[in-house]
Amino acid sequence: MKGLVKGLGVTLRNMTKKKVTYKYPDEPMKMPNRFRGVQHFEPEKCIVCNQCARICPTECITLTGKKNPDPESKVKLVIDTFDLNFEICILCDLCTEVCPTEAIVMTNNFELAAYSRDELFKDKEWLTANNTNVREENNVSLLKAKKGGAE
Amino acid sequence: MALRTEELLLNVGPQHPSTHGVFRIVVKIDGEIIKEATPVMGYLHRGTEKLAENLNYTQIIPYTDRMDYVSAMTNNYVLVSAVEKLMQLEVPERAEFLRVIVMELQRIASHLLWWGTYLLDIGAMSPFLFAFRDREIIIELFNELCGARLTYFYMRVGGVKWDAPDGWIEKVRDFVPYMRERLKLYDDLVSGNEIFLARIKGVGRYDAQTAIDYGLSGANLRCTGVKRDLRKDHPYSVYDRFEFDVPTRTEGDCYARYLIRLEEIKESLRILEQAVEMFPEGPVMAKVPRVLRPPEGEVYSRVESPRGEIGCYVVSRGKDSPYRLKFRRPSFVNLQILPKLLVGESITNLITILGATDIVVGEVDA
Amino acid sequence: MGELLTLPLSWGSFLTFVLMAVVLLLIILFMVTYAIYAERKILGYMQSRIGPNRTGKFGLLQTPADVLKLLIKEDVIPEKAERPLFKLAPIIAFVPSFVVLATIPYSENMYFANLDIGVLYYVALSGLSVIGIVLGGWASNNKYSLIGGMRSAAQLVSYAIPLVISAVGVVLMSGTMNLMGIVERQSGWFWNWNFIPQILAFVVFVISAIAELNRTPFDLPEAESELVAGYHVEYSGFRFAFFMLTEYVYMIAMSALITNLFFGGWHAPAPFLEFIPGFIWFLLKFCGVFFFIIWLRGTMPRIRIDQLMSLGWRVLLPMSLANIFVTAIVMEIIKAING
Repeated sequence: MKGLVKGLGVTLRNMTKKKVTYKYPDEPMKMPNRFRGVQHFEPEKCIVCNQCARICPTECITLTGKKNPDPESKVKLVIDTFDLNFEICILCDLCTEVCPTEAIVMTNNFELAAYSRDELFKDKEWLTANNTNVREENNVSLLKAKKGGAE
Repeated sequence: MALRTEELLLNVGPQHPSTHGVFRIVVKIDGEIIKEATPVMGYLHRGTEKLAENLNYTQIIPYTDRMDYVSAMTNNYVLVSAVEKLMQLEVPERAEFLRVIVMELQRIASHLLWWGTYLLDIGAMSPFLFAFRDREIIIELFNELCGARLTYFYMRVGGVKWDAPDGWIEKVRDFVPYMRERLKLYDDLVSGNEIFLARIKGVGRYDAQTAIDYGLSGANLRCTGVKRDLRKDHPYSVYDRFEFDVPTRTEGDCYARYLIRLEEIKESLRILEQAVEMFPEGPVMAKVPRVLRPPEGEVYSRVESPRGEIGCYVVSRGKDSPYRLKFRRPSFVNLQILPKLLVGESITNLITILGATDIVVGEVDA
Repeated sequence: MGELLTLPLSWGSFLTFVLMAVVLLLIILFMVTYAIYAERKILGYMQSRIGPNRTGKFGLLQTPADVLKLLIKEDVIPEKAERPLFKLAPIIAFVPSFVVLATIPYSENMYFANLDIGVLYYVALSGLSVIGIVLGGWASNNKYSLIGGMRSAAQLVSYAIPLVISAVGVVLMSGTMNLMGIVERQSGWFWNWNFIPQILAFVVFVISAIAELNRTPFDLPEAESELVAGYHVEYSGFRFAFFMLTEYVYMIAMSALITNLFFGGWHAPAPFLEFIPGFIWFLLKFCGVFFFIIWLRGTMPRIRIDQLMSLGWRVLLPMSLANIFVTAIVMEIIKAING
């Protein structure tokens, strides 16, 4: 009997404690900065090295480049199309880890439900426009270089 | 005149609230007593081991997260440590300490989830929410550390990806006394409850020789009196620097497994305290080549996951993807005792026994 | 309202009776709606979360929204199910739960039927619901619901017996089976209420009542985690709403019965508080019993079927029989002492 009564006491006392429900749709949920959400792409920084397409475990990135119309710059190719098949992206952030120029970075956006599967095929325009909540630390080796250079 | 009765073939089917995933047991029952039970596995098979033959070692690590999704850090570790053994890599100390802290937090999270869902199967609804409240704290810690809540992809060959952000170690330190208080609350709520004890004591009993014959591991083996824990018997990472006990009991029934898992949470808290005290400075990633090409050879590496002994067998032919990768998954092996254990039990006890075995179907099927 | 019962039966009085019954039905439906809401809120608070709070202010429109959803769902009947029995089962389960409300007095003036065999009538009719449950389990053509129906038949029949026998102790003390009479004997201070002299009967009655209501810790027939909702797994939409309605109306009826038998009905705890209307006291005690039933649901795990059977036959039944003997002996002793 004693165990039962103790259990009843625990539940009764819990009624007076603070509730842990988040007021989610009314108040936005803030994710920590390292959170791996959908990607953000900046076409000016991309040098079309294809590292992200090669490292992706599910091969969801396809990209094409074209010759740089600007003959003076050192960058030979600029990005033409950049498609990310978000249906199979596993948000592992390997693409951001290997990108040498941080052209592709992750944001903290996780509210990505869509009404049709077509909307899940993210193209260059969508990824460029998705620039809220961009993550600060992306490529760890570049981060160390930045920190080392700053000091 | 004898009464003619027939056996009923019941599918504790792939869709069932208590089989913890898509897992099916075909039982032949006579009234409420099980005469024969056949588990049918494979509903969640995703071909991880075959896919691994075409991927780099670093690309396979996210797949291992999804095998045993409840304790993803130990899965990451088993693969990463296998490759490090092959390549004879030296992992920096801070990385090893981060790995231990993260794996012990993961053990606590996994046992909390087991506790909550086990009690939900038995019929009590509130412990589930209490357990998930505490688990939420651990998941928030992981979110801050590596950016994901369930599939972390935190460990890399040669270290870990990120260093701990500022203030993270203090949060881990504050978590330990909080969790100790909550464990007292759990004991008050459940462990003394007479109905619960009547449900669990004496159910699903087996002895030590049966457990060893079937290859059980983890709490399923320790409940019979065999004191075997890979962190003590074959220490890996920096576990040999910590002081902790291995809870063992001799009854061999579901109650023993229940108590052992709660004790394991306490032991994990002890390890966490010590690890946070001894936390060194330094780099978190060793110098590894850009493309990992382990030398030719085979290696088997094993780790004590919350469910038992998880092992990874890698055969490498010198290329950047393995020739064959095989995981010895504890839930798959622990399930083999089920047909023998369930004969003569009632259906209610089926759920009790299945819950106490602590399986995750992602791991059963890989 | 008692005077209405003595009117000669004419079309006018018949229509009055029907109208009052309809009013009671509407009140009960309203109470069930908010009983479900109260249960969800209380369970939420016990589990460190807020219950429903988005539909309507404070979530008050949650249950009407759920009921609306159930009503507009498609009526799915499994192909091999026995159609007439399948359709009949919820009705047989529900009707007795509503009919027993007629015998319970809610205050000195609010009662529908002043039956001299009130207690017996209640228990007899609540036994009829078992047929509905077993029919539902059989007619669904599903092994899970069959097992649930069988378990439930065993449970409800075994626990009806300690229920009635423990009530006999109260009847012995009050000298009548009439619920109004039982409540009237409990007037005065709160130590006159039957739960103190009849403490054994009280404990047995409450445990058997929870088993009769199919509530945790005795909710095996609808064990969500083993039998995936037991006997009502194949029911959806309006028929499922009937089963849910049955359960909650029984909870209300049983709480009212416990209040009347053991807690003094509409009497105040002390004579100087009698100026507060009796109905308010009834409501307060009724809410207390209801809260206790929900509190048990939030805390206890489920008991196993063989343990349930052994608890009912080997513990509760001897306790209630012992209670009758002790009550009878004590009453004879008191009568002998008083001359």
